[in-house]
Amino acid sequence: MLETRDVPPADDYVDPVSSDPKAFAAMVNSWVPHDIVLKDAWFPLAHGFAATEKPVRRAVYSQPYFLWREGDVAVAAEFHPSDRLTSGKSAYSNAAGRYPVIEKYGYIWCWFGNPDNAAPEHVPSIPYLPEEGGLPVHMLGTVRFDCTAPLSLENLIDLTHADFLHADVVGDEKMDKETVEVFHDSESITMVRTCVNKSVAPIMKWFGGVRADVQQVRQVIRIYLRSHAAIAYGRFSPGDNVQLFHPCVPETRDRTRLDYTMNTSNVKKTNPFRYIMPKASYKVSRQDSSMTSPQSPRYMNPEKRKDLHSPLDEAGQKYRVLMLALAERQARGDYAYRDNVSADCSELIGYDGT
Amino acid sequence: MSDVWWAVARSEEVSQSRPLNADIGDQPVVLWRDAEGIVRALEDRCPHRRAPLSLGCVLGNGMIQCGYHGWTFDGATGHLEDIPNLKSKTRFPPIYKARNFAAAESGGFVRVCLDSKAAPPLPANETLPLSGTAQVTLGHEHFIAALFDDPSLVIAIRRVRFTPYLMAELAEQDGRLVLERSCQWATPHWPAPFSSDFPITLRIATDPVSGESDLLLRDDGFNPLLRATLAPVPAARGVTQIRWRARLESGRTGIKARSMGFGRGSPFCVLSSVDAGALRILKPSASIHAAALREAISTAAQSAGAA
Repeated sequence: MLETRDVPPADDYVDPVSSDPKAFAAMVNSWVPHDIVLKDAWFPLAHGFAATEKPVRRAVYSQPYFLWREGDVAVAAEFHPSDRLTSGKSAYSNAAGRYPVIEKYGYIWCWFGNPDNAAPEHVPSIPYLPEEGGLPVHMLGTVRFDCTAPLSLENLIDLTHADFLHADVVGDEKMDKETVEVFHDSESITMVRTCVNKSVAPIMKWFGGVRADVQQVRQVIRIYLRSHAAIAYGRFSPGDNVQLFHPCVPETRDRTRLDYTMNTSNVKKTNPFRYIMPKASYKVSRQDSSMTSPQSPRYMNPEKRKDLHSPLDEAGQKYRVLMLALAERQARGDYAYRDNVSADCSELIGYDGT
Repeated sequence: MSDVWWAVARSEEVSQSRPLNADIGDQPVVLWRDAEGIVRALEDRCPHRRAPLSLGCVLGNGMIQCGYHGWTFDGATGHLEDIPNLKSKTRFPPIYKARNFAAAESGGFVRVCLDSKAAPPLPANETLPLSGTAQVTLGHEHFIAALFDDPSLVIAIRRVRFTPYLMAELAEQDGRLVLERSCQWATPHWPAPFSSDFPITLRIATDPVSGESDLLLRDDGFNPLLRATLAPVPAARGVTQIRWRARLESGRTGIKARSMGFGRGSPFCVLSSVDAGALRILKPSASIHAAALREAISTAAQSAGAA
């Protein structure tokens, strides 16, 4: 059952990342992602096309969500329309058992938390997805990760893993120079990785028409903490920019659903990359799962042994601390959004409409 | 468990080309051969993000590289030697290491001790040519008890049938648990309960802790017919992994003994599935005194150590 005790934001908020290095390190090493259940967030539970007259079932931390359309309007309920046993209704839905719903960016977003706190401004900003949706189905897909959702996102925000785990898709670690910058607020974290003369991603070489041996790369991962949703935006020169929306829905504490959108409408229609790149998720996600699946049970309980870290892990470490700080705030009954997740982040991620 | 040498692989299973995962109870281990061909063993868990090192690769210099972020470790010490993306020749502090284990190889088995400073075990004299690996859904202790009480539930020897009768019950000999079981040829014969003599026996000598067992099948002239070594290792979720090696002795006399060499496959094997119905009703017999004997052997060893 939802136990929320709304309290106004405290004025004495301290940034957990910049406050005390010792406290920061202690939080990094107390990372038990299985214990984190953040509430009062919108989750993109289905692509818009998945909601029809016939209800489909989704879940957030095992909480049931049934989605369907009444006319053109998407609705979400805690119970199947055929199920009259509504006596066990939770506090996550209203008196009629309905959840707050918004349809935006081609997704059915459902609120997980106190329904009274649902507000449109808490839907994250995704600059390169059309608000009204409508992207072709070949740019959409569903993959699953056999792990807890925060591990999947920690994996994503540390892109050095891609040089080893996905070298056959996005290229290996060979490059002249690599810099990583990290920005954050209380609701999001953004990592910008710049690579000079990086070996060309094989998928761009084989299908994207890139003939050069190296390319200049700027990759941005921006995670909206509560919604467990990430933007992955890559600028490649030469090559086409990559525009991925990567929402990790925690169906349970140990399994993650990803209804992704790889918007390749910026790529010429005659270029195979436009059609192949969205399908790369099927390969890449299994590669990720091969690591995060055995990782997941190893992060299920507190460990005396500390993880070792390198300077390249800054983003992952800050992600851990920000998630723990949010969880700690919510445990104290503070569910307020201190920063606006729906503010346009185009400038921050370097998106200029291409 | 920490000072026991466990035979976690056969020599031919460990290579320079691909890391191998093994378990000792709930402890995952990764094995590979370094550039000199020496077997190395580390915890199968990268200390960076806890991914299994066995999913990585062995580099040309004999070090193991994690497949997740490329952290590279020296097998002899477990020390972190490289993080490729750092693009520097940084030397890492001593704490930057994977947990390393002692490894030794002899007799066609790779043994690992979780105590990295353990003295190496005595080397085996020979390597038996036949070999295999079986995994059974039976705990380590129960596997050994079944081997003592009714070998037919866990092993098979071509042309041989085990009887319920022992020539020598389980006893301590040179620090091992030893018994000798009467056997018959698997041909029509007078039923065992009514037989005055048996043509062959199986001697089983078992290490009281690891359960590693030497088997010797002999005829009534004391001529060896078959030798085998079984190495059961407790693995995850109550599974027992058994590596074995065996040799059919030459110079076997008699049609029945010679016929052990005819047929497809190995004349010896460890069964990969156990008849649970038969196991459930199997009454403890030879194994009844095993726990007391183990205790006595352990006490004697401690006394000898103290002296």
